[in-house]
Amino acid sequence: MSTGPFEIGADGVDVEHIMAEIRETVALKMQSGAYVGAQLARAERFNLVNLKKDDNFFDFYMESLREAVFVDINDFEIRERRALFAPLLIRLKKAIWGLLKFYTYRIWSQQNQVNGLLLSATEEVDRKYRDKIKTLEERIAKLESRLPPG
Amino acid sequence: MGTPPRIAFVSPRFSEGATVGGAETLLRKLAERLVSAGWKVDYLTTCARNHFTWENEIPEGTQNQGGITVHYFPVDSGRDLNAFYDIQNRISRSVEVSLEDELTWHRNNVNSQALYQFLRDQGHQYDKIITGPYLFALVYFASQIHPTKTLLLPCLHDECFAYLKTIKSLFASVSGWIFNSEPERDLAGRLYGLDMTRANVVGMGIEGFSVDPDAFRAKHHLTSPYIIYSGRRESLKGTPLLMDYLDVFRERTGNDVKLVMTGSGSFEPPTRLAPHILDLGYVTEQEKHDAMAGAVAFCHPSVNESFSIVLLESWLAGTPVVVHASGEVMPYHCRKSNGGLWFRNYGEFEEALSLLLAKPNLRQAMGTSGCRYVQQEYSWAAVEARLLTALR
Repeated sequence: MSTGPFEIGADGVDVEHIMAEIRETVALKMQSGAYVGAQLARAERFNLVNLKKDDNFFDFYMESLREAVFVDINDFEIRERRALFAPLLIRLKKAIWGLLKFYTYRIWSQQNQVNGLLLSATEEVDRKYRDKIKTLEERIAKLESRLPPG
Repeated sequence: MGTPPRIAFVSPRFSEGATVGGAETLLRKLAERLVSAGWKVDYLTTCARNHFTWENEIPEGTQNQGGITVHYFPVDSGRDLNAFYDIQNRISRSVEVSLEDELTWHRNNVNSQALYQFLRDQGHQYDKIITGPYLFALVYFASQIHPTKTLLLPCLHDECFAYLKTIKSLFASVSGWIFNSEPERDLAGRLYGLDMTRANVVGMGIEGFSVDPDAFRAKHHLTSPYIIYSGRRESLKGTPLLMDYLDVFRERTGNDVKLVMTGSGSFEPPTRLAPHILDLGYVTEQEKHDAMAGAVAFCHPSVNESFSIVLLESWLAGTPVVVHASGEVMPYHCRKSNGGLWFRNYGEFEEALSLLLAKPNLRQAMGTSGCRYVQQEYSWAAVEARLLTALR
């Protein structure tokens, strides 16, 4: 967000202007990839239903889906909040994770395959119907152009 | 001196305090204003308090409540709840239901034959009848008894129930409508093709109050900035969305912003956010207003509001608001007052909140602007004048 764009004062506030700046900033940040990540996509899960009447709802939905589709199955840093016995507890957690990870990798990699296939199918359906609608719109325009004026 | 004009309000519940919804509170407040304007006011309602069970908890009969003669009638027994919920679930999923199913749904909703009979017998005494909100069968059937003198105060939202054939006929049958805001009126116009010369926008008056944000902060040991939400906590009100957004906001921006919540309903916050929520449940009006005054912003994530009293209260407390853009009413208030911002997605929420956190002067200016808007548009004097015009 640019700094100092507003004349502050009760009479000087223009929320339409502020919102225009916010939308511009968000659009730029979206282009630069500032709002990507599964965490953000998850946060939007309750919002999708609110946007169903927007024209670009489906694009936004697909973007959220792309961000959230693959479960992170990589190793992660194991921490312990409790200071007392922390090294011991971390070692214990690591040992448990070491035993479980083969099994969880297998489950989640299969889940990711399913998720990936579902995303591809949805994208393909979207593409197919966009093409179909585009063809129909062109056809309607062509037919309308043949109508006599008035 | 002539006979004072006589009016009946008809609603499923009579507001006895904070446990009843906004629509009932609005109807009671309007009834009180008419009493003070010299009208003779009856309020026909049911003996129920709980809008889930509709159990008859209040004794049948008549009570005087602040000059309003309240007539309590029993809710009919023998509701077929299976049929009711089956049809309601289909409507909620936007599945088209037949007219017969819609009527079955109304018949098994909250009804009171005793109230209908009273209205049939005594309705001729009233100059006007105001009934609402639109979603209850009691309102649907009562409005058919004396339609030429009935005004519907619908509290309409853009939701699946608003698209029912019976609701369209309800709107068409009455002599006029009292809306809470221009967007609500426009929505009704779009949905039902109404003759807008019979529509009036009235709203509810908000009384001024004094605030002490420091006392609230001190009482709850709050040293960090916070946002506030007041009202029911449920998915329809968007509270899960607000909690998810704030959780991500804290993580991404590193700003230690707390969430203060007042009102009813349980909720499950994200684990990381839970220690940063101060849930006060029901509080006194004074404490709610103090909490609002100390907040960075009042956040309302709902898209289903026909008025939003809490938004106006927040402005009176001098605090700007941040609301969801997809609702019709709240962004309209923000635009008209210059007192709030709105968001369509997380990115806009982050920018709006960051801006308000970074610019206390802007916050103050927006709060002042919102306060002035409420004082001009929603003072009781202004609302009463609009109400009396609607009743002419």
